[in-house]
Amino acid sequence: MAIATEEIGTYTPHPEGLIEGNHNLVTLGDKISTVVTGETPTPKVWWVFFLTGIGLLNCLVVALLYLFYAGVGIWGINQPVAWGFAIVNFVWWIGIGHAGTLISAILLLMHQKWRTSINRFAEAMTIFAVMCAGLFPLIHMGRPWLFYWLMPVPVNFGMWPQFRSPLTWDVFAVTTYLTVSVVFWYVGLIPDLAALRDVAKNRIQRVVYGILAMGWRGSAIHWRRYEKLYLILAAIGTPLVFSVHTVVSFDFAVAIVPLWHSTIFPPFFVAGAVYSGFAMVVWLAVPLRKFYGMGDMITTKHLNLCAKVMITTGLLVSYGYFLEVWMAFYSHSIYEVETTMQRMFGPYGWSYWVLITTNTIIPQLLWFRKVRTNDWLLLAVAGSVHIGMWFERYVIVITLSRDQLPSSWGRYAPTEWDYLTMLGSVGLFITLFTLFLRFLPMISITEMREFLPFKQGGRDGHGIMENAK
Amino acid sequence: MPPELKTDTEQPEMWQSVESWMGSPQFDKMMKDEFPEDAGEWLDPVSRRQFLTLAGASVALAGAIGCNPSVRPASPRKVVPYVRQPEQIIPGIPLFFATAMAQAGGVGLGLLVKSNEGRPTKVEGNPNHPSSLGGANSFALASTLGLYDPDRSKNASQAADSTTNEAVANALLDTFKKLKDKKGAGVRVLAEPCTSPSLNGLAARFLASLPSAKWISYEPLAADNAVKASVAAFNKPLTPVYHLDKAKAVLAIDSDFLAALCPASVRNAKDFMAKRKFRDLESGLKAGDGVKPEDMNRLYSVESMFTCTGATADHRLPLTPTQIESFTRALATKFGIAAGTAGALPEFAQKCIDPIFEDLNSKKGSAAVIVGETQPPAVHQLALAINEKLDAFKANVVTFIEPLNPRAGDSIGELKALVEDMKAGKVEALIVLGTNPVYDAPVDLDFARALESVKYKLHYGLYKDETAANCTWHVPAAHYLESWGDLKGHDGTIALQQPLIAPLHGGISPLSFVSTLVKAAQDVAGVPEGQKTVETSDPLELVKAEARAYFTKAADSGDFENWWQHAVRDGVIPGSASKPVAAPAVNVAAIPTPAKADGIEVQFRADPTLYDGRFANNGWLQELPKPITKLTWDNAAIVSPATAIKLGCESGFGWTGGENGRTIADVVELTLEGRKLKIAVWILPGHADDVVTLYVGHGRTERAGKTADSKGFNTYKLRSTTALWNASGMTAAKTGETYFLACTQGQHAMESRRPLRHGTVVQFAKDEEFAQIPPVSAEEYKEIRANTPGTEEDWVRLHGKDGKKFPHSHTHAHGPTETAAKKDEPKHEEHKHDPRVIPLSLYPDNPQKVHGEDASKTYRRWGMAFDLSACTGCSACIMACVSENNIPVVGKEQVTKGRAMHWIRVDRYFSIPTSRTMEDTLGGKDVKDKVRAEKVKESANIRAHVMPVPCQQCEKAPCEVVCPVAATVHSADGLNDMVYNRCVGTRYCSNNCPYKVRRFNFLQFADYSTASMKLLNNPEVTVRQRGVMEKCTYCVQRIRNAEIEAEREWKLRPKDASDRPKIKDGEIVTACQAACPTGAIAFGDLNDPDSQVLRWKAEPTNYGLLAELNTMPRTSYLAAIRNPNPKMPQGA
Repeated sequence: MAIATEEIGTYTPHPEGLIEGNHNLVTLGDKISTVVTGETPTPKVWWVFFLTGIGLLNCLVVALLYLFYAGVGIWGINQPVAWGFAIVNFVWWIGIGHAGTLISAILLLMHQKWRTSINRFAEAMTIFAVMCAGLFPLIHMGRPWLFYWLMPVPVNFGMWPQFRSPLTWDVFAVTTYLTVSVVFWYVGLIPDLAALRDVAKNRIQRVVYGILAMGWRGSAIHWRRYEKLYLILAAIGTPLVFSVHTVVSFDFAVAIVPLWHSTIFPPFFVAGAVYSGFAMVVWLAVPLRKFYGMGDMITTKHLNLCAKVMITTGLLVSYGYFLEVWMAFYSHSIYEVETTMQRMFGPYGWSYWVLITTNTIIPQLLWFRKVRTNDWLLLAVAGSVHIGMWFERYVIVITLSRDQLPSSWGRYAPTEWDYLTMLGSVGLFITLFTLFLRFLPMISITEMREFLPFKQGGRDGHGIMENAK
Repeated sequence: MPPELKTDTEQPEMWQSVESWMGSPQFDKMMKDEFPEDAGEWLDPVSRRQFLTLAGASVALAGAIGCNPSVRPASPRKVVPYVRQPEQIIPGIPLFFATAMAQAGGVGLGLLVKSNEGRPTKVEGNPNHPSSLGGANSFALASTLGLYDPDRSKNASQAADSTTNEAVANALLDTFKKLKDKKGAGVRVLAEPCTSPSLNGLAARFLASLPSAKWISYEPLAADNAVKASVAAFNKPLTPVYHLDKAKAVLAIDSDFLAALCPASVRNAKDFMAKRKFRDLESGLKAGDGVKPEDMNRLYSVESMFTCTGATADHRLPLTPTQIESFTRALATKFGIAAGTAGALPEFAQKCIDPIFEDLNSKKGSAAVIVGETQPPAVHQLALAINEKLDAFKANVVTFIEPLNPRAGDSIGELKALVEDMKAGKVEALIVLGTNPVYDAPVDLDFARALESVKYKLHYGLYKDETAANCTWHVPAAHYLESWGDLKGHDGTIALQQPLIAPLHGGISPLSFVSTLVKAAQDVAGVPEGQKTVETSDPLELVKAEARAYFTKAADSGDFENWWQHAVRDGVIPGSASKPVAAPAVNVAAIPTPAKADGIEVQFRADPTLYDGRFANNGWLQELPKPITKLTWDNAAIVSPATAIKLGCESGFGWTGGENGRTIADVVELTLEGRKLKIAVWILPGHADDVVTLYVGHGRTERAGKTADSKGFNTYKLRSTTALWNASGMTAAKTGETYFLACTQGQHAMESRRPLRHGTVVQFAKDEEFAQIPPVSAEEYKEIRANTPGTEEDWVRLHGKDGKKFPHSHTHAHGPTETAAKKDEPKHEEHKHDPRVIPLSLYPDNPQKVHGEDASKTYRRWGMAFDLSACTGCSACIMACVSENNIPVVGKEQVTKGRAMHWIRVDRYFSIPTSRTMEDTLGGKDVKDKVRAEKVKESANIRAHVMPVPCQQCEKAPCEVVCPVAATVHSADGLNDMVYNRCVGTRYCSNNCPYKVRRFNFLQFADYSTASMKLLNNPEVTVRQRGVMEKCTYCVQRIRNAEIEAEREWKLRPKDASDRPKIKDGEIVTACQAACPTGAIAFGDLNDPDSQVLRWKAEPTNYGLLAELNTMPRTSYLAAIRNPNPKMPQGA
């Protein structure tokens, strides 16, 4: 199906700079689908990432086996810091999992055309991140084999979960989010899977993609139903973007631990989640541009826009940091004030300043266009945000070390098993994501085709939103 | 069991069951030869089969049914199952039996031991016993673990090989026979101090048969100095008995008379606190429930180490041992006693002498001076003289009795003589009874080497310890819960020991063993059959025979058996207390001149949890935080901050540590008289400068058991005959090494949060409500007070309507109560309940409605109160809780991670009193770390405050709302219940508990595998699995038992006016409350208008810990009130 460039001719650049290069319907589809069909050779770097991911995943397996054998005491958690890395990582991953749905649902409803080339892998990122996140609350339980007691399962002992507990809300929030994200992602994939079926290079691909495409023929009625469903799912997904991290923040805000018990947490957490989610999008987009040559679809414009979202949410998060301190002193509560002082200058003060540096100060570089449009600088800033957002959760959890009663003040130090589990979850993410890159279209073929200007055979925008008008 | 246990060696021709074959001596021998390690385990099930027999026997005794010889405990007769169920035995219902445990010096502490189907599981104090009066100390409370200790000696041994008891007995007889001509000249018995009349009787008979033999009473921490002083002062050894309920002022000179180390501590603490429980209520005041402020007693403490007594004291002077002696001399001089020249004293101490003298002198007849056993005889003698001047003898504040242990006096001197004899080859046979001199004898005696020259050496003890390793023969001893015996209490009252279980490992009771000795001696001495004074080695018969002396025909209709049964049931022989001896005039002529000190001084002290090391293999005691230092599993060189700076040492919480766990401490090398010891340094504010306190008892070898192995430092390696308690001229050098210590509370200061509120009598007089104001929400303190139980209604009822005005006039939720007092005080309207205090809440109003009625009005509401004035921090409550609730031991490594499991902990805070309020000046934002360090370094006036913290049973419990699976829920009677089976271990409840009293099984802490440890558990409390949260529930099992009992009785009775079964106040006693020697804990029903706990809660000093968080804690605290002497120098 490959068509030489000279046959297509040259087109004027995309008015918004969202697609570069000389693309028409065919070249676009080919570029994305040949990665999956194997016609484009898999970059060597893929193997580096994949094997790293598998290696780390093995760490996770070992860590979990030992964890289930011995108990959560292999971690550094203690009295008074009964939550440690597991919860830090949970919130961190959940936060990362936020950008996908935001991009695919909210930006869709907001008519943001630039979402088109990044939504697919961002959604995949969301699903994998939520899977990593979901792992932690399960394994952090003292008796993980009883996890189903947190769910309203009608069992013979006639007990329901305790609905006042934010952890119960968490179960609903996270499972709902995961379900909707997966459905949304899969529904979006169906036309692409059909396209892959049609260009499949061997029987296996044909069968597998054929089954996954669920009989998609591209008829008008198919398109109509598809677009309606996609829109409905976007509408369902939109509130979830806010609800998940709001509920996660309740884990802290409902508690009476000083500096946890705060109404700022829900918006603050949501902003932080979007912040880290976009940082992760950047982290995934830049290698795709570099190693898969997707720079013509994920353009500097995209990076620029992601960076703008980051600086906005970053400022919101920084405002949250300021407000936490402000409210502590404004409250005149000795516990709030002293705990703030401990947070800044106590034994874990360093982590607070790491947080402020990486999450508030370094991202100010994004005010510069040069930073926003330079792959590597942006990657560095996004890395800083990853560190910062991780430390934000660390700082919150570590607040437990010094609460109301000085007699029970303590400290927390992670063990090798904590680190192994954390790295292992990264391995799980990398493995899943590299597999996704290899076996599923990383960019939506359908939507990109629709997105092409009329001249190039597209419809100059997103069909769904245009049809909905 | 006596050594002739296995005399019938004939093998059954046929065996009908595997068990009978396994029970045969051949089988035993084969087992022991082949698997000596496992021998005990094979024996275990066999012993367990004897439980029921034993239980039957004990009941038979307790119920005065008559002593049926066929079911006598420890009887080697046949074991048969019940054909008919014995009376009083109901499976599942525990029984209590009175017994007694030997403490320091062999002095008995009367106990009641709970037996579940023949397993002793819990120790409590015996209310009938004068040394206990129902209280107990941590050693006694932890002794059930000692019983089931899997490391106990399980068989007799010869060298390294196991052998049988009869082989030991034969060898003993052979040895004695060889010494026949010398009348036992080469025979030495080295025994623990003993107050048992029957055992001492046997010893006397032994010596009568072998007149040249010697019986030496030895204990490393023997209280010889007091005896020596008594001999010097009175010309005869007399033992003082203190009656502190008569004392208005007490001066403790290096004496920890309130803590577990002193054999009379439980009684002392109770007596002393009777005059210290501060109560303001007039009409509610009941006998024993407290004193009026003006009657409060006063305690001065002069000591180097910070002890429980020092923490309780109104004034505490930290001085070095030599300064303490100087201080005593200076004070005695004030009393007109020729006390010799006093050495130099710090200026601050000098200023204190006059006020202390005046205060004591003004309270003649109701003041006493108590000196610790660690002080030299001169100080004891001076104290006797001062007490005489204070009319303490005349007024019976201090009385004297004959020594409880007739051999007490100079144990170290006798040991020294023994070692010299051993070295000279004069000792042919040495029999060590219970003591462990290879480990704990003064190091300059080099006991182990001296022992090499002894041919026949036998060790009798609970463990194959260091001494057993150096002896040829070893015989396992029976635990005190496995044997018959008798012990004298601190006042001479004889307590009876009865076995609660047949010896688990075939151990032999002390009486049996010694009677075997006596028999052998009499055989050798050729005493004719008819004149042998020991017919039996049955310990029961021996004890009974001794008790007969106290039986008078008049008692119990002249029936001895009847009288005996009563005595066994009560645990004490009535009327056996020693007759007081009138104190002769104190001779002060022979007071020696003071010793001079140079260099750093050192003092050796008994370990607060391991005593002299005998409890080293007891995990409960190892893990019990030592009072004040809060160290577990280790000892250390304890120094003051200033001395630490001098040594260049510091301790800190490392990067991977926890201030509630791991502490990295510098290691110093101590050199004393040329001997060296490397030991970690622990910096303790309030410790005297230039003196190092070393606890003995740690640093045992693997011989002592798995738990004891290499925990801490063996400080006996520095202790010599010349430096027994105190010594000077020590040098210390920092080694550069570090060591990690497990400390459960690293935080020193209250950080101006006032979790522990304290004040003085004067302060209280000025402002009754001084304890009410929490650090936050100061304006709302009345409402906060209203959130802790103890309401205006209670106040009015207890004070009468015309009584004092209610200081905290608001109840929550139900709105202001319409009462007479309310109407009289219209100005209170302005404080009307502010709805902001309890805004809309996720928490339901507890107690919930029951059948549409407010449960609080109709049913029971459990509550607890701690009187902080009466708490010494002795930690008996922790031990009782551990024993009652099957709380696991987690080990040092886990403690350093902050995972200790104790459901109740004793918080300790330090403060420096200011002249104004005695408030904490160590905490708060105005005190920076550096400033604080300076203050702590320089201040001699640091005070320690202690505060027991169990679950507060919040009515609005923060833990309950956050549990996703409803594993922690509220009961209608106000308990914050924990459902272990439902817990999935999210630990959210622990995070949300502001008191941090929840404990999580991070790993499998409970011991499911060790067979003998399974017997230890209280069957009424779940043994928790890993991954499960646990916590205090006010001993809910005891509450429910009482409720069931009440319901049952109520059902059986014709109904009275009240339509609910009644539980009387005091009918339910929680484990911590039962153990508390001072009665600092009240528990009961807040709906019972006469309950003690309600009276306590209506006190104006009652406050709720962190009540400002609106948790509405059911547990509350009465602020600690002290009674300082206003004439003491400022800041003292």
